[in-house]
Amino acid sequence: MSDLILELDGVDFRYPDGSMGLDGCSLAIRRGSRNVLIGANGAGKTTLFQHCNGLLRPTDGVVRYAGAPVDYGRAGLRALRSKVGMVFQNPDRQLFSASVREDVSFGPINLGLDEAAVTARVDAALAAVGMDDLARKPVHNLSFGQKKRVCIAGVLAMEPELLVLDEPMAGLDQAMQEELLAVLERLHGRGMTILLATHDIHFAYRWADRIHLMAAGRCTASLDAPALADHEAELAAIGLRLPAVIGLQRLLRQQGLLAEGAPLHSCTALLARLQEIQR
Amino acid sequence: MLIEQSAYANRWRTVAPDAKGLFALGGLVAAFAAAGRLEAALAVTAAVVAATVLGARVPLGLYLRVAFPALLFLAVSALSLALSVDRAPGDGLGVHVTGAGLDQVSRVTGRSLAGLAALLFLVLTTPLTDLIVLARRLRTPEVLLDIMVLCYRTLFVFSGALHDMRTAQAARLGYANSRLTFRALGDLTANLTLQIWQRAHALHQAALARNSDGPLRFLPTPHPHARRHTLLGGLAGALLAALGGLLAHGGAV
Repeated sequence: MSDLILELDGVDFRYPDGSMGLDGCSLAIRRGSRNVLIGANGAGKTTLFQHCNGLLRPTDGVVRYAGAPVDYGRAGLRALRSKVGMVFQNPDRQLFSASVREDVSFGPINLGLDEAAVTARVDAALAAVGMDDLARKPVHNLSFGQKKRVCIAGVLAMEPELLVLDEPMAGLDQAMQEELLAVLERLHGRGMTILLATHDIHFAYRWADRIHLMAAGRCTASLDAPALADHEAELAAIGLRLPAVIGLQRLLRQQGLLAEGAPLHSCTALLARLQEIQR
Repeated sequence: MLIEQSAYANRWRTVAPDAKGLFALGGLVAAFAAAGRLEAALAVTAAVVAATVLGARVPLGLYLRVAFPALLFLAVSALSLALSVDRAPGDGLGVHVTGAGLDQVSRVTGRSLAGLAALLFLVLTTPLTDLIVLARRLRTPEVLLDIMVLCYRTLFVFSGALHDMRTAQAARLGYANSRLTFRALGDLTANLTLQIWQRAHALHQAALARNSDGPLRFLPTPHPHARRHTLLGGLAGALLAALGGLLAHGGAV
């Protein structure tokens, strides 16, 4: 089995109106890893994601899944879409049915599973996102965060190998973001590969294994998140700064207030360490 | 929204839609069977309204608010059926109430009231998602069901979008006078049309992403006591139809 689950190799994509979506974009996602794609609005993140699922076809270049080029025939796309689950940014643009349970069943039914298997998958997916008690509620009576979780459940019910989420934290309050993060942690714990788009470098540093930077339709750098501190220039090139926690740790180490050791990835973790030292 | 509210909040929400469909069908048959006699049709109406309000616990106030537009329409229709403009000998033009007209009013009103009660029973106790499942079981063409599913879902999405747009316009004095109101409504319509087109495209993309290849298929909501409920609903419907027939053909009310 290939170590790379998904690979884009020099992918170009031009929209029908002539605007450039992707421009020689190359990206590699390792199986079982947590990946963040970060870039400004209009950088091409959504266009790239739609290539992962075969919704868009490159005008040039190759998309490979598990080492093999994507087959854009009917059967090939079916196979790809059953392995790559895509969660869109706006839940109201993804949910069809007015019933939570029905909507989650949409994907597994399209996979041709029998009713018992679909039921089992729907129940498991709703439980995974903590929505099992709201399964019979109408979608229009759910909060934005709950709708987002229904969208994730709808994709999980297809049991994908790679989960692609387009700005999943957008529009969620802090508590909902933490809940969603816990869901993603559980999924990653089960061996699922995750690729998500965000604008938040602090979150990316805290959560991801790999951070992919994107600007003007191409992936400008792919970095190991723990080594982010060594890549200030790459971040600056797309208008981002290092997360504050990196600078804080540097300063505290220079002042002798913090011992050398593995970098801490969030201000919360740093605060906890300092409180520990103070005691 | 009132119908929606009642369909999800009534006591018979979880009863199998087949059972409620059969009872409503019984009500419709009874409405036609009892139409010949107003008292019989009113008795059928009362039975179905009682099932809705007392059985399913749909609040009476909500019931009347939902029924009001239909009742108003019926009243206007009945009035126009009862009255006829005629030229009586030596009397000139005049408005008359004729025996035949009253008979027709009694027939139409009785049938309409009972039929309305039967249909309101169904829609006020059954969420549309369950009704779509029922329609699917009755072999309604897939394309119609897809349209129903999408219309029902997007109704709420677009009413939300409409509300947001209208609020944003009002916040910038969009409805300050009649000239601005016309202009704001025009902008709103144009913007909403564009949004509908964009969202239709987005929904299509979302369907493709989940391996859709045509009809929108979903898992039906399970109803644990469906068989028993359907049997009871069928029996109650048959009883209602028989009651309508009996009362219309000689039985006393």
